[in-house]
Parts: sequence; structure tokens; C-alpha cells
Amino acid sequence: MLHRRLYQFFIVYGIGICSLFSIKYILNLSDYVIPSPIEVWLTAVDVFMRYSVNVLDTLSVAIIGHVLSIFMAIVVGIIARLTTGIGTLIKIAAFNIQAYPIVAVAPIIFILLGDGLASRLLIASMICYFPLLLSILGILTQPVSDIEHFFQMTGRMTWQLEVKIRIFENISKLIMVITGSATLAMVGTIVAEFIAANAGIGYTIRIALYQSDLAKILVALFIIGISTSIYLVCLEWMGHMLQKKWEG
Amino acid sequence: MKNFFKKLIPLAMVVFMVIAISSCGQKNGSSSVDPINYRLKWLFNISSAGDLWADVNGHFQRQGLTVNIKPGGPERDAIRELELGRAHFGVASADQVIRAVSKGSPVVVLVQLFQINPLQWIYRPQHVTIESPEDLTSKNIGITFGGNDETIMRALLSKYQIGENEVNFFSVRYDYTPFYKGDVDLWPIYRNAQAVIIGKRLQEANDPIAFFDPHSAGIRFVANSVVTTQKMLKDHPETVKKFTQALVSAWIEAMDPTNTEKVIEAVHHFDPDTSPEIIVEQLKITRDLTIPFGDFEKGGQFFGKIDLAAWKETENMMLNQQLIHAPVNIEQYLNVWD
Repeated sequence: MLHRRLYQFFIVYGIGICSLFSIKYILNLSDYVIPSPIEVWLTAVDVFMRYSVNVLDTLSVAIIGHVLSIFMAIVVGIIARLTTGIGTLIKIAAFNIQAYPIVAVAPIIFILLGDGLASRLLIASMICYFPLLLSILGILTQPVSDIEHFFQMTGRMTWQLEVKIRIFENISKLIMVITGSATLAMVGTIVAEFIAANAGIGYTIRIALYQSDLAKILVALFIIGISTSIYLVCLEWMGHMLQKKWEG
Repeated sequence: MKNFFKKLIPLAMVVFMVIAISSCGQKNGSSSVDPINYRLKWLFNISSAGDLWADVNGHFQRQGLTVNIKPGGPERDAIRELELGRAHFGVASADQVIRAVSKGSPVVVLVQLFQINPLQWIYRPQHVTIESPEDLTSKNIGITFGGNDETIMRALLSKYQIGENEVNFFSVRYDYTPFYKGDVDLWPIYRNAQAVIIGKRLQEANDPIAFFDPHSAGIRFVANSVVTTQKMLKDHPETVKKFTQALVSAWIEAMDPTNTEKVIEAVHHFDPDTSPEIIVEQLKITRDLTIPFGDFEKGGQFFGKIDLAAWKETENMMLNQQLIHAPVNIEQYLNVWD
């Protein structure tokens, strides 16, 4: 699973970087616009370890933010599945709030929380929380009539059982949604670091941009891609194990 | 499935390259330079007063040129746009020019817009006293890591033999909250732009402000200049000359105190978020930074002068801080008009 993910990433990254180099040489652009392969290599040798540490910093924040948002989305999803006023309100709020661009809200968060860990965590959570919530809402508000009908008729239906049934019946979809939102958590953390934080790979990319150093950005993108692929594989593996356990 | 991917990869590469190359637009070597695209360094504000004045008062049209002035921004790089053929002229800071030259970019400097770098550090004299550079010791100094303020501050500390471990650097962005809260003693700011706005706000709150000016401390780091490509200069020397003349004459007019009201109106038209009361202050400071040769009557004609010594000093600072790996002999890239 891991080697397939990495292989896919290498193909995509390779196509991207080869295209860039092709454009550079076809249009005869200087190393200032697009760095030469040698410059990218030398930059990689120079910054790889430092950038890897920065990516791990970002990834750790993204994972915590992701876990938080999964937890919050499930809790809110359970409440919002109710057909009461609170449920409807939560659904409408979720649809509306996710329409706000996070880059517009982020500066306010940084003013309130500073440029430390809390802001990065909150922004990472916010970016993956709302799409997660909407998907989880979709799953938890959709009755599994065949099974639920039996428990309702026998008077044994509780809200916990209802949630369990719906999660169990949609476990593949749920794993896919959680895995998909992992990339959003990573993107959210990088966006936060890019805007105002003073740590992580987003911050490093920001500095490289100030220095007009595309070689550093290409190296950063490479390490981000590998790290995200590994995280996605871990999530898929955990989902697979969970599914196997549930299905006996 | 594997065969499908094998076919898809080269196809995707071809499509990507066609899109990318076509989006690169016309190269500068093409026969036509009409209309001319002029990419500024930042958004429309007082630092582009002369450029806007040229547009409003038909300076380019009188030279037979059609010029689109495009605002810049944090992610815009005029030199890259010049090379990609999306712009014919642009505004770039000296560090951008020197970095670009060090990487083989065929860029030429035409006009030096600012004779004194507007980048200074704002501080509150009630909280800190800065009478000489030595007073920076043990202060919390805001710098944009990777930005030219970092280069300037490091050069300054080096010049006055202040160890970097004797000051505390604070990473800054666009949010001034740490300065307002007093977490940072000195905050980098453009003296002719945000400084007026922030200063007014603080003074209204009875919080006096002062500025630490690296230029006064002997650090001459060149700021914004107008640039083009060597190819443009070689293939269209007349266009370059006309453009430069139009721009310089417009800037001189814009800095002329007799045109103050009209200039404020022009800048406010492009920068409606800044009030005319603020722009009038910004304009005064911009005049002092672009024409610091005594009064306007005597100094106006020297607008745009390329300060070779300052360029060399800027190159040396970047070399000493290893921002470039070898000397670029920047004087070869400065186009001095008679």
C-alpha cells in the first residue's frame, strides 16, 4: 500500500518537475525564474534535513488538528442527526460557516491566539472540520431502514445503537472521508504557517518566497508530498484494520 | 489499466506544457510592444504616486505609448514577469535585482525610484530609547525573516559590532498586534506608507512614536527601481527611452509641491482605502525619500538617479550575508541615462 502511494507521488512530482525544467529550457528562462536541476539538487542536499524536521513539525500539528476535527465532527454529527431545532440549526451553520474562506478568518485567529501552536491547530482543524462534518452528517442522518426498523419494532432502539448501525453500514465511506480530510488538515496547517505562524514548513516556504528561491520550495513540496502520502497510508491501514475487526 | 496510465502520463505532460507555455505569453523579443505592461512592486499606494500620475496625466500617451500599469503584491515578482514576457517594465527592490542577476536573469535597472530606502523601524520613545545604533542592544527587534529588512538589520548590527545574540529577533508579518501589545520594541515599517497610518493611530491614542532610520546610521540599501530586460533594451531602445522619460517626468511632476492636491486626488482614486489626510502626509515623506537633495527646485531634476555606491554597498551586504554566492558586479546592470 505504502509503496503504491509513494510510487504514485513520485510519478506526479516527477511529471511536474520535468515539465518545469522543460519550460525553463524551451523558453530559455534564468535560474531566477525556474532553478536548474543542479541547483535543486544542491539545495536539496543543503536543506533536506532541516526541511524534514519542519515538515514533521507541520505534520504533527496537522495530525492533532485532524484528530480533533474528527472527534468534533462525530460529536456534532450525532447531535445534528436529530430532527429537532438544534439539529437543523447545526446543519445550517455548518453549511454557512464552511463557505467562509479560512485565509480571511485566519488573521483574526492570529490576533486573538497569537502565532503559536494554538492558532495553527485551530486553523488546521477548521479547514478539515467542516467538510468532515458535512460528510458525517450525510452518513448519520441517512437511516438504514432494513436494520433500524427491526430494533424500532422490538422497542430496543437507542440513540447509541442508531449511531452504531449507521456507522457500521457506512464504514468504508467514513474511512474514505477521514482519509480524504487528512490532506485538508495538512493544507490547513501549511496555510496557517504561511500566513502568520513562526514554525513549520509553511513558514519555511514563506521565507523561501521572500528570497525568491523556488529550489527550496520544490524541495519542500517533495518532502510534504512524501510525508502526506505516508500519513494517508497509515490512515488507510488503520481503517482497514478497524473494518476487519468490526466485520469479524 | 497499466497501459492506460502509460498512455496518460505523456499525454498529461504534453497538455501541461502546452498550457504552461501558452500562459507564458509573448516573449519580449516579439516585434510588438503595444500595449506595454508595467508591473509595480506593491499595490497602488503612495510609493507608486509618479506611476499613477503618468497614467492619469497622459505622460505615456504623449510619448506614443500605451501602458497598462498593474499593481504588484506579496506574491508578485516583476522580474519573473519580465522574463516570462508578461510585463515589459517592472518595479523591483535592489535585493530582488541582485538575486536575479546572480542567477543569470537578464535584467537591467533603468531608474532608481527611492534615493533613501523607506524601510525604517518604528518604536515608542516612552518605552525604549534609541539614540544611536548601540541602543539596539537587548531590544526585541521585529524582522521579516527572508525579507530585505532582515538583511538591513543584520548589516547594521555587523557595522556597529553588535552581536546577533545581543538582540532578540522577533518574526513579523502584516499583523502589528505584537508591537501594539509591547511584545516587540522595534517594528519594521515603510516610512512613507504604513508608518503614517500606524503613527496616526498611535498618536490618537496618546502614544508617541519615533523611527529608527538605518540610512542615517550609514546603511545604504537601495529600495525600489524600475527594471526591464536586456533584450527589451537591445530590441526596443526607443521604447525604453520614451518609457523612462515619460516615467521620470511624471515622477518629477508628482513630487512637485505645486501639484500636491492633484497628486493626492490621483493616488486616492487608485487607493480609495487611504484617506486624503493620510496621503498628504505620505506624499511629503515620499518627496523627501525620492528627492533628498535639498528643496524640490534644486533637487527635482535628479529624480531617478542611480546611486552606484549604494548599489555596490547593497551587493556587498548580500554577499557578506551569503544571500548571493559570488559578486555580480551590479554596476554592469545599471543603465545610466544621460
